Amino acid sequence: MSGSIHVGLAAMGAGIGVGLTGLGAAAAVGRNPGAATPILVQAILAIAFTEAIVFYALYLLPH
Amino acid sequence: MQHCFFSRLSLLIFALCGGCIFATSTFAAEVEPAVPLKPDELVHIGKFAITNSMLVTWIVAAGIIVFAQLATRKIQVIPSGAQNFWEWLVESLYNFLESIIGRELVRKTFWFFATIFIFILFVNWFGLIPGVGTIGWGHHDPATGVFHVDRPLLRGGNADLNMTTAMAAIFFVLWIIWAIQANGVGGFLLHIFGPKGETSGFLKLIMVVIFFMVGWLEVISILFRPISLSFRLFGNVYAGESILEAMSNMVPMLSWLIPIPFYFMELLVGFVQALVFMLLTAVFTLLIAQHPPSHEPQH
Repeated sequence: MSGSIHVGLAAMGAGIGVGLTGLGAAAAVGRNPGAATPILVQAILAIAFTEAIVFYALYLLPH
Repeated sequence: MQHCFFSRLSLLIFALCGGCIFATSTFAAEVEPAVPLKPDELVHIGKFAITNSMLVTWIVAAGIIVFAQLATRKIQVIPSGAQNFWEWLVESLYNFLESIIGRELVRKTFWFFATIFIFILFVNWFGLIPGVGTIGWGHHDPATGVFHVDRPLLRGGNADLNMTTAMAAIFFVLWIIWAIQANGVGGFLLHIFGPKGETSGFLKLIMVVIFFMVGWLEVISILFRPISLSFRLFGNVYAGESILEAMSNMVPMLSWLIPIPFYFMELLVGFVQALVFMLLTAVFTLLIAQHPPSHEPQH
């Protein structure tokens, strides 16, 4: 096996993480639609930090 | 394959200013993806190359400027037609941003976020117009007799990593300026390295050390923001173009039918990515431009 397996794993983890964030955000808006804007900000931030893991895997490890 | 793909992507970043161009040969076309990673050169002016992505960027920018000027040439109290459209667009953007980053900050930074949203949105959607990527110079495939476009005249503007990196870099500079304007250099550093939360005594000392270390993590995460911003936009638009290309070539008889659902998905993706770019930059600005919590009244 060759290639950047760590990037693939990071992308898989980030995908799961983004999905969980979206799940939580959607559930939260469903419970309290009035708080949609603050929830959106929190969700966007969390998704950005989760996604960044893929870029760490891409650039911080030699491949 | 994956390895080669990403090492070339990182190469592209370093070749940003040089406009370094690799030669595409017909042999490489079998190994390379259907849509090349880099835009193709159209004209050379000295060392400066004009690429098909740049052409699209300029067409869209000129279109937006002309349309906005025409729409607001005769401002009426009761807007109608094009003026109404622009007022609706700008006003809804303003109210939306105000609800997220607050009244003071939106007054100062609205110009940037609105421009970036409108520009990215129209560049993304312009790339979906039939003819982009399919009109250009090419050759007849001797085996099948099908005409194959090698050098399209137009290519989606954000399907070029140079463009998205430029926007992310401009935001990064502005972000530093806005942060220092809001809190000063000391406040900016304190915001990153300073201790958060309420502690006292010996625990406070430990917290200062811990948060100083956390600050370095914060610095790394901040430095990665322009990279993730540019790659997110580029990756989504480029992947979208590749999907459309692949779907068009899958079944030659049905090449007019199969891409249609994907065109609708790309309309959605183009909007969502413009929104995400604007929201992320706005939230990053909000986070750093917030005044230190110690000045706020305690609850």
